[in-house]
Amino acid sequence: MGQKGSKIKITEQDKAVLQLKQSKDSIHKYTRRTSDLISHEKQELKILIQNNPKNYKENKKIRFLLKRVHYQEHLLDQASDQLINLENMLSNIEFKLVEKQFFEGLKNGNSILTKLNKEFANVDEVLDDMQEQMAYQDEINETLAQHVSGVNDYEDEIDKELDAMENELMGKQKQEQEALPNMPSVGRLPELENTKPKVGDFTPVKSPANKEQQGQEPALLA
Amino acid sequence: MEFPPIYSFPPLYTRQPNAVIRNKQIDSWIDIILSISKQQSLWEIDSQGNFIQQSISLFENKDIDRTVSPLFIKEILQRMVKTQKLVARDDMSDSTYCILWKNLDSWASLMLEWFETTNKLNQVVTIYELTSGDESIGWEFHSMPDPLVSKCLNLLVKRGRATMLKDEYNKYIAIKVV
Repeated sequence: MGQKGSKIKITEQDKAVLQLKQSKDSIHKYTRRTSDLISHEKQELKILIQNNPKNYKENKKIRFLLKRVHYQEHLLDQASDQLINLENMLSNIEFKLVEKQFFEGLKNGNSILTKLNKEFANVDEVLDDMQEQMAYQDEINETLAQHVSGVNDYEDEIDKELDAMENELMGKQKQEQEALPNMPSVGRLPELENTKPKVGDFTPVKSPANKEQQGQEPALLA
Repeated sequence: MEFPPIYSFPPLYTRQPNAVIRNKQIDSWIDIILSISKQQSLWEIDSQGNFIQQSISLFENKDIDRTVSPLFIKEILQRMVKTQKLVARDDMSDSTYCILWKNLDSWASLMLEWFETTNKLNQVVTIYELTSGDESIGWEFHSMPDPLVSKCLNLLVKRGRATMLKDEYNKYIAIKVV
């Protein structure tokens, strides 16, 4: 107001608060003065009663003084109530100002939020596109998987071929085994019998079923 | 009231002719005035050496029957003005002084502390509220007279922390500190 060049501004609210506070101050002053007066008059009353211990109930001055004290006390009560009202009003105003700030904060936050949300405007498009892309990806995967299964067919063929080769080999070995009895005998039969179980250990190579078991064993161990 | 021992020393009341001794004598008087003012919350003194709010005759010691002469009182007060222990209450006349048992800057800082601790920042506070309200009871500036308050608050304005509000008679009535 009176200070030029100062940056602190006095708003209309400040002026209103000032008026409220001024009335609060004057009531405060009044209550203080009245309570001083009451205590003073009470003191006077005591002295008067002490001076006239016998007929103080008939003493007009004492009665008048006591009435006055009561009246003043009544006024003081009223003033205190008003003071409380004013103080309530002031704290209400203060709280409303805080609420206003809170509301403004909320408003700002909301506008920022809507602004940010606007950036998500084409989120549907993006999502649709993404789904399409994912479907396409699935398609590709499927196609690739088919290729892989084709390779599996090929592997079956390989297996078949391998089996065929094995059979061939087995046939040769059988022929060799069959040919064995035709070979000239060594003459030491017991020795041959001892070696027979060893030969039996190697025989699984000949049968495909045994071969599979051998192949599965490491898998089970793992 | 508690006086320092020197208060009962008769030569203190007679203006000493020797300049060096007189200087010490005046300093002793200034110490007495300031400590009594602080003790009793005395704020103002007139140019005759009478305290405004209370009738304390500091320059008259009845116990030892000594009185300081009016001229010497004036000399003491002049020295206090020079050393900034007194400041004229109104800019116009120098018939009344404010006693500064704390300098203006310290007062301003103390008030700022009050504004901060009682959460009165950024709102209008009347000068009555500051010096006579229930919330400043117990603070040293409670009951400080308005002219001195205005001087202190003006320092806050100069520091850029506050704005003063005047009433229709151009008298400072309130302040807003941020």
